[in-house]
Amino acid sequence: MTEGMLSEELKTYEANAESLLGAHEAKFVLIYGDRVLGAFDSQMDAITSGYRQLGNVPFLVKQVVKVEVPLSFVSNLLGV
Amino acid sequence: MPSFTAQLPNLQAMGPLVEMRIWVGTPVEEALKKADRKIPEPVAARGMIDTGATGSVIQPAIAQQLGLQPVGVVSISTPSSENVPCLQYPVRLIFPNNVIVEALTIEAPLRGQHIQCLVGRDVLAHGVLVYTGYINQFTLSF
Repeated sequence: MTEGMLSEELKTYEANAESLLGAHEAKFVLIYGDRVLGAFDSQMDAITSGYRQLGNVPFLVKQVVKVEVPLSFVSNLLGV
Repeated sequence: MPSFTAQLPNLQAMGPLVEMRIWVGTPVEEALKKADRKIPEPVAARGMIDTGATGSVIQPAIAQQLGLQPVGVVSISTPSSENVPCLQYPVRLIFPNNVIVEALTIEAPLRGQHIQCLVGRDVLAHGVLVYTGYINQFTLSF
């Protein structure tokens, strides 16, 4: 579904996951390419900062968590 | 309290459908203004209020029409699939009566051609949904 978009940013997250968990667990990190640009208390703060720093380009905002839990959809309207 | 009420011919059969518009989120608009770029017009869409959706969803074509770039990836599980990665986009959902909600939506295809947006529990978390089945009417307030 993502067709490779944000793949570099996801690799950056994985490469830094251990140190991010140690320093910023539960916060939202802003990642662009191979750079971690900051950690924020709220998701919207991280997104707003991303747009201010980078403009309208792809970037990754991701919560730093030990275990990823997928969002659950009971709805049968999703075509995935 | 901002709200809208929708009346349908057969609420049970059709579901809580709403004619709405989808627009770039506020931080996107600010970034486009700063870069002296054209801000796209809101896109008309038919949405469905879906209490079975953890988050709100838009069809891929809407993100393309608005020139949106992804700001996140989330895994979703549905009755027929598990851990499917999907991109996220910040948008404004514009309901009737100009009721506006900022949302971080998930991009995913929706079954059938008649719905372009699912309004999920991330939006409902901020409001009151009154579903009055016997008169085929529902009201969403924030």
